[in-house]
Amino acid sequence: MSIMKFAKSHEWARVDNDTAVIGITDYAQAQLGDIVFIELPKAGDSLKQSSQLGTVESTKAASELYLPLGGKVIEVNEDLINNPQWINESPQERGWMIKIKIENPAELDGLMDEVSYKEFIDKEAHT
Amino acid sequence: MEPKKTPLHQKHIQEKGRIIDFAGWLLPVEYRSMLSEAKAARISCGIFDASHMGELLVKGPRAVDFLQKLTSNDISSLAFGRMQYNLLLNEDAGIIDDLMVYRKEKDLLCVVNASNKDKALAWLMKNSSTGIVIEDVSSKTALISLQGPTAHNIIREVFGRDFEELRYMFFLERKIEGRDILVSRSGYTAEDGFEIYTDWDEAGLWWDKFVSAGKKYGLTFCGLGARDILRIEAGYPLYGHEIDEEINPYEASLGWAVKLERKFMARDKLLKIREKELKRKRVGFIMQSRALVRQGYPVYSGASKIGEVTSGTYSPNLERFIGMAYVGKDYARIGTKISVEVRGKHYEAEIAKFSFIGPKTKKNSFKEAA
Repeated sequence: MSIMKFAKSHEWARVDNDTAVIGITDYAQAQLGDIVFIELPKAGDSLKQSSQLGTVESTKAASELYLPLGGKVIEVNEDLINNPQWINESPQERGWMIKIKIENPAELDGLMDEVSYKEFIDKEAHT
Repeated sequence: MEPKKTPLHQKHIQEKGRIIDFAGWLLPVEYRSMLSEAKAARISCGIFDASHMGELLVKGPRAVDFLQKLTSNDISSLAFGRMQYNLLLNEDAGIIDDLMVYRKEKDLLCVVNASNKDKALAWLMKNSSTGIVIEDVSSKTALISLQGPTAHNIIREVFGRDFEELRYMFFLERKIEGRDILVSRSGYTAEDGFEIYTDWDEAGLWWDKFVSAGKKYGLTFCGLGARDILRIEAGYPLYGHEIDEEINPYEASLGWAVKLERKFMARDKLLKIREKELKRKRVGFIMQSRALVRQGYPVYSGASKIGEVTSGTYSPNLERFIGMAYVGKDYARIGTKISVEVRGKHYEAEIAKFSFIGPKTKKNSFKEAA
């Protein structure tokens, strides 16, 4: 059974034992608008929590993405490079970005679950 | 200063447009997705609120001679009911603004950029003489643009056949249901389309009529984002990007809008410019890989910097990344390989012809009698 975790910087992590698939949330993609470009790390890269996961660029602006959990990249959604619109169309399915092997499970405690994340974006939308 | 609202502001709010401040105007940058909006305008029809544009009326028996002095194209031979793209130049042949001039029976209607309206007006006033009256009707004039292959159907249903049969760069003025309108077959997209000038307070009423008639013709609300994508695809310059007062028409690849055979203020300067080699030239380019380029990004040939990007976008209609730039004249030939630096990395591109898409306006052009 996998669990969904969310970061304040609007990335999600689908955690399954010691691995996590990572992407950006529906809220984030809606804010960014049409995404036309994405740059992702390579498989084998070891990245720390909150380090740069990549860059997404929409018709409006380029934005940095941050890694909600540290770990080693074990898989990259290579098809996404040529189909970045998948992030808009299906942010939590086809729009997944990388899969990592979680380095430190304690980092999960700092992330939100789905309910808290919903509250968090409701607040953000009203400030 | 408080940003201004167009008479269609509430419509944009209702349609959940994402509102931004553009040149002091609150306008939707997009409704849902600027890429799909820009596609709709080439497949069916897009509806745009362009009420922020400035409209200046030049009146008086010598209005034509007066405007001829300050502009580079030639409106003297323009028949009533026709319009022309023109350039308002300063003494040094720098571009104060680009504009559309409508030759009405009594007056000339000049449609200028919102951001340049006050400046253009001031320049006209400064050079004005006895008998010339310049009236700023911007705050009374709304502008709705219908662009795309099905636009003519909507025009027919709302205004009638006379309007549908307008030729490209022609216009008609009439009272419909007691309301004054001016409709031209023109636009900022290189697509077949119409621009409709209405009374400020009646814009909403016409907008609703277009929306309702447009239902079966795939009418799509389009924001400023789509407008920008479409004009880049068309290879059209935008003030503040491709043109400004430091740039002359030849550099801007707008020499076709300069008629040196007649006299005007910047003519001598332009003759001198023509004698010398141009330092830079506006070009279009297509990226060879996925990379969105933006204004100010440096352009290279090998290791040497040869220019700067002025506009860039992803073209949803070509499915390519495209842009415009100023480059040294030696690099302006079509097919020249260049590269653009994006966040420290170089991406290859190739100089390409304007417009990037085949203009759809020509088939409605007026064929001059032989």
